[in-house]
Amino acid sequence: MKIEVFETKERVLADNESAARETRALMRERGTLLINLMGSPGAGKTSVLSRVIPALGEFRIGVMEADVDSDVDAKTVAALGARVIQLHTGGLCHMDADMTRRGLDRMGIDGLDAVFLENIGNLVCPAEFEIGADLRMTVLSVPEGDDKPLKYPLMFTIADLVAVNKLDTAPIFDFDLAAFKARVLALNPKAEIIPISAKTGEGCAELASFLRSLIEKRRRGE
Amino acid sequence: MKVITLNATVTESNDRDAARVRARMKRSGTLLINLMSSPGAGKTTLLSRLITDMRDERIGVMEADIDSDVDAERIAALGAKSIQAHTGGMCHMDAGMTEAALDALEGDEGDLIFLENVGNLICPAEYDTGAGLNMMILSVPEGDDKPLKYPLMFKESAALVISKLDALPYFDFSVEKCSERAEKLNPAIKIFPVSAKTGEGMEELENWLRERLADWRRN
Repeated sequence: MKIEVFETKERVLADNESAARETRALMRERGTLLINLMGSPGAGKTSVLSRVIPALGEFRIGVMEADVDSDVDAKTVAALGARVIQLHTGGLCHMDADMTRRGLDRMGIDGLDAVFLENIGNLVCPAEFEIGADLRMTVLSVPEGDDKPLKYPLMFTIADLVAVNKLDTAPIFDFDLAAFKARVLALNPKAEIIPISAKTGEGCAELASFLRSLIEKRRRGE
Repeated sequence: MKVITLNATVTESNDRDAARVRARMKRSGTLLINLMSSPGAGKTTLLSRLITDMRDERIGVMEADIDSDVDAERIAALGAKSIQAHTGGMCHMDAGMTEAALDALEGDEGDLIFLENVGNLICPAEYDTGAGLNMMILSVPEGDDKPLKYPLMFKESAALVISKLDALPYFDFSVEKCSERAEKLNPAIKIFPVSAKTGEGMEELENWLRERLADWRRN
């Protein structure tokens, strides 16, 4: 017997939308920027945070690490001096607005200029669930291949910022950066694309600069 | 390339669907392998290498993706039977969807059929597709901590292929640590470090697949 999935999904998404709107309003009121950091497993989300947090040392940053299991990521980020909590999703493959809000309440956002939610490693499901973020940032790494926008279009359609990581490995992989950029822009003409290497630091100053300007805007109440 | 659109069935009977798929594959003597991994770990590249190397076996591929037909086109270009399925946005395949994809092969089932699942280290592990074997890939660039972070897929797989071995010099990846972590979760897991690019380790994997096919037909 086939049950109609789609109506249910629409209702779930509508409820999520409403929770996301509340979070967005709360963050604006508190002057804190919320960033939804997404990407495949192993793309380098935590490594990018390891670069960006010290580079944004003048700000107070919080990180919610969302994983299916383990606390390796939270430990890595805690060592950078950021306020951190580790969230376990009970096997769920993405964070939603409700879970995000509960995480924010638990961690506390008082005194924070920016909060990163490091989402579950997954190029599919997180793109479908708004968490109430001000910035949707996707990390895609060179070894994964330049065809990923074709195969996971929603993730690249919703991304405000795409960091192309592991640039230092470009010589050994067949990654066409120009083709990748064209594919992303075809889905989302407004996407900001910044190639980086979290390992060598290349491009990280530019990435930090981009984030800095958004954090400052939020502090000014914009 | 013809694309078929699948509808996920929300039903308690995925197990029943999976049993039906398995029985069908027993009848045709075809080993169905559910191939899972993150996006970009090298599923299609590995399949391309297997098809090129394993000349004595008839291999078919069911490509499951959210969008695009680039993968099915790559397989078809090698002369292997392939179909492209779109999952309607679903992040994994279930047994009902697998059955529909098998129907699209139109009886041309061959010796081995690979279901190249949606690139995702979480959801595919939760759904029995009716495959005779679950096989996963973890690539060197992804990091050796992934068994800690995504334990279920390692628990559910009979084989772990550690791919992109030729990239080892560029990454902080310990094959030993990764293997230990995987074996802790699943003591029976068979581990194959390979490079589909250079061919390293491929012979061991191919021989193991041939043995599994023989086992499937014997029992």
